[in-house]
Amino acid sequence: MRHMRPLNKKAERIDNYVASRTGDVVALQNPQAPPPRPHVPMACSLMFTPGWEVDAAGGTAGLCQPVERDIYDCFVSCYWPAAVPDHLNNSPDWASKCAAATKDWRNLDLIFP
Amino acid sequence: MGVSITQLMSRLFLLFAASAALASAGTLWLPAYPASVIVFDEAKGQIVDRIPLTTGTPMSIRQTPDHKTIYVTTIDHNGIEVIDVATRKVTNHFVLNTPTKQYRFWNGTPDAQGKLFYSITKEIDKYIEHYEVGRPKYTVIDLQQQKIIKTVDMPKEDQSANDIDFGRAPLELSPDGKYLYQFGDKITIMQADDFKVLDRIELSKPTFPGVEMENVRFGGDLDLINDAGQHVAVFVSSDPIVHNHVFGLARFDLSNRQVDFNPIGPAPAGMAGIEVTPDRKAAYTVVSTGIHGTKRCEFWAFDLTNDQITQRAEVPCRTRFTLGISTDGKKLYIYGAGFDIEVYDAATLKYEKTWDLNNDVTYAGIVVIP
Repeated sequence: MRHMRPLNKKAERIDNYVASRTGDVVALQNPQAPPPRPHVPMACSLMFTPGWEVDAAGGTAGLCQPVERDIYDCFVSCYWPAAVPDHLNNSPDWASKCAAATKDWRNLDLIFP
Repeated sequence: MGVSITQLMSRLFLLFAASAALASAGTLWLPAYPASVIVFDEAKGQIVDRIPLTTGTPMSIRQTPDHKTIYVTTIDHNGIEVIDVATRKVTNHFVLNTPTKQYRFWNGTPDAQGKLFYSITKEIDKYIEHYEVGRPKYTVIDLQQQKIIKTVDMPKEDQSANDIDFGRAPLELSPDGKYLYQFGDKITIMQADDFKVLDRIELSKPTFPGVEMENVRFGGDLDLINDAGQHVAVFVSSDPIVHNHVFGLARFDLSNRQVDFNPIGPAPAGMAGIEVTPDRKAAYTVVSTGIHGTKRCEFWAFDLTNDQITQRAEVPCRTRFTLGISTDGKKLYIYGAGFDIEVYDAATLKYEKTWDLNNDVTYAGIVVIP
């Protein structure tokens, strides 16, 4: 959410406080600044966590190859809101006919919201 | 039409050789989607059994030090399944969730008798219009009553370390079952019966003089050298001046609470754990540099007798993977995410073959049974 900026004094104080907590002063060697991250717009979900459709750099080079290798870890143990069906409550069997997603992805059920 | 003595001897020799090969090979137990544990025979190179889980997708797996029992936690409804290694049957299974309560937990440790399971849970209460998510708590689960019998609030200073990813910092019980240890940037020692904190060992301030570390963190258990009464793991430390990161092996004796650090070398940008041969003389890891499209991976082989890197070899790296080792320490495995295991020769670090499991495995890790 780096595109957010404080609009009032209280928010500015919070912003400064957070910045002061993460800052670091060290001798001999300065910490490396993190590489700039792309701005990934929100899609149809409330939150968009890069990882499946795009990687953290906004490209596809950092995704599993092929991307179907990662589909089950995306929907079960990570959380990709709205990117894959909700297997816990609404679509528990959407992947039951597909053991290896890379090979059998055609057997995944289509889920319509 | 009889068989000559030479032929008979030859056949007997082949039979003995085959038996010896089978005896030295073990089985890999891989948690798999959607809800099973695959038993894979290293010698045959194929799946020999599949144990269905009734409580959901496996998210953590651990074996007892005697290799007789495997404990699996599942994520769908937050369940526990106990597997008897000899019969390959689930002997106990249950879920913690109720219609109005969910308990998020990741892993835990059973007691020596297999009656209690110690874990860290986060309670989520369902109300008419909202959910309330509680703080992480120390939890005792009775495996026979199949329910939580005790939760204890966590001291404030331990909460933040346990609030991420459902409390992944590993727990261990002392051999006598009296003390519980949690490993992170410090070792927290508690009484097992009431979780009263007895001591905290600050790993950044080791007992040997003249050395102070900025940060030390224990990694996960190493299966093959995980002796009973000892927690063995990778650690990464850095000094407070130039923040030079060093990785190595650390052993924590659960009986006398002694920590033994064994630094090996500079910590690379990324390291896929470390696997140690059964004779504890060699170790292997995969290190990575760069990210995304520029990512490169290398096998590093170590001689643990003198803590030196003996061999390096580039290896095609998957975006996400786990390193494993065979029961005899002669093969290295790269698996996950996906449906296959790549096999490399540990002596040459060369690719040999790929085992197709035809089933996606979870990233719970694997258990190697000799």
